[in-house]
Amino acid sequence: MFIKTRDKSIAEKLIVAALTTSAIIFGFMLIAILLFMLQESWAVWSEISVWSFLSGTDWRPVAAVPQLGIAAMIASTLWVAGGSLLIAAPLGFGSAVFLAEFAPFWLAAVLRPVLNILTGIPSVVYGFLGAAVLVRYFESSFDLATGESLFAASLVLAIMILPYIISNSESSLRSVPLEYRHAGLALGVSRPYMVWRILLPLAGKGMLGALVLALGRALGETMAVLMLAGNILLFPSSWFSQGEPLPALIALELGSATPGTLHYQGLFAAGFVLLLIVIAINILIHALQHKLKNEVSRF
Amino acid sequence: MNRRRLVDYVQLGFYWLSGLSVLLVLLAIIAYLVWRGGPQINLEFLLERPRGTPLGSAGGIFPAIKGTLWLVFWALFFSVPSGLVTAVFLSEYGSRWRIAGLLNLMIQSMAGIPSIITGLFAYALGVVQLGWGISLLAGGLALGIMIFPVIAVSTRDALQAVDNNYRLLACSLGVSELYALRRIILPRAMPGILAGILLATGYAAGATAPIMVTAAAIISSSSGAIFEPVMALPYHLYILFNEHISMDNAYATALILVVILLIINMMVLWLRSWQERIKQK
Repeated sequence: MFIKTRDKSIAEKLIVAALTTSAIIFGFMLIAILLFMLQESWAVWSEISVWSFLSGTDWRPVAAVPQLGIAAMIASTLWVAGGSLLIAAPLGFGSAVFLAEFAPFWLAAVLRPVLNILTGIPSVVYGFLGAAVLVRYFESSFDLATGESLFAASLVLAIMILPYIISNSESSLRSVPLEYRHAGLALGVSRPYMVWRILLPLAGKGMLGALVLALGRALGETMAVLMLAGNILLFPSSWFSQGEPLPALIALELGSATPGTLHYQGLFAAGFVLLLIVIAINILIHALQHKLKNEVSRF
Repeated sequence: MNRRRLVDYVQLGFYWLSGLSVLLVLLAIIAYLVWRGGPQINLEFLLERPRGTPLGSAGGIFPAIKGTLWLVFWALFFSVPSGLVTAVFLSEYGSRWRIAGLLNLMIQSMAGIPSIITGLFAYALGVVQLGWGISLLAGGLALGIMIFPVIAVSTRDALQAVDNNYRLLACSLGVSELYALRRIILPRAMPGILAGILLATGYAAGATAPIMVTAAAIISSSSGAIFEPVMALPYHLYILFNEHISMDNAYATALILVVILLIINMMVLWLRSWQERIKQK
């Protein structure tokens, strides 16, 4: 950050002004995207009520009397994402504690790049491996007609969000001041006890933030759920039934929807709902981070 | 006392187990891909176009590699200038404007937009409204919007990490801000900026959802014409598997994709460690 100076040449002032304007324009692209999606889906919100779009369980966009309801897709999305958190959270927190407290220096130096590399593997590769290995395994060992299910998608998604949970939880564990560790250990408790009773409660909020961030990722993930969830437009009855989460719906049907039809607009409405959920989560994280900061400074 | 001990050991065991399981996952993924895909990879696979019936069951993946390179090029074309400008504003001039805080929140939120949504947006804007059709340009736009926040945030952080004394010193010597930015601040942040751009390149190269609705074709020569659809590695992998064309070639394509991204990620890590060394000097 430069300090403010008065004497600037006109050229310099112009350049700074151009910089400022374009940065503001680029920064507000999010608003532009939101408005654009709203406009594209406007027919849905005005013709079908918001509530019946969200709670309807029939998705027949090309029928004579088109019916648009995305409740089944929302339920699938939540099952898949929530389930993946359920699987990834214990493992992720465990790994984070391991990295922050117990891992020998050399092992931590190996593990951190490994986390980076895991986040770099494309989702289509995870989806492919999940479908080619995991689904086949389910089919052969449990004698199922098809191994594709929300559970399979959750399992693969859990692996994909694990690195995010670990690295964010680790940094919140590390942000606990050293004095607390020392004070705990000086009282003669064991290290695991110290972790359980001192570190985890203090870092809890940050770790919750890591979980919420991962939830945002899981909700919007497309390829893995597309290849694993089974793509059936029915309301999922359990974790082990098949379903079609919102991103998969959009990816599968966008190419065949004629622009201007209710089908096309319905897909944009579905995308708008997904976008709103994810943005709400991001704002929640932002608020959580602020709270966390206050908490640490209070101690 | 003994029960306490037992609880400790159980905890410790759990921490070790979960830590090592992460390592195991990566090793398993890479080993399995090498085992299943490795034998198919040779020069012909890399440099031939897809052949056989159905197309892709024989031959190679050259157009897919080329198409991915083109897509990455256009994604960077759309996102690097805008990302850099936004980052410079946020880091160097932001505090003079109250809007900068809001801008930061927006860009942070943009980073969380699901990739399929950027595809949806680029589809409506580029493919339909601007009449580009399923095209390289529309795919580049979708990917560009997707990686813009990555570049903006990492560049902003790299610039902010430059010691503020350099700015004060430049100012006290009467050097203009822009000159100082160009000759002092940017060079010192360069490895960090490059790391961010490279990371974004990796994301763009591996993303499937945005291009499957805007740019990808099952078969194309990927000539680089901007209004033509292209093939792309991740989409090719999806098609090979989903249309049951060839499992062997799917494994080989996945391996190529993972190796490319592995190399990119290694370079990112290396650039970051270089940046750390500059900072400590």
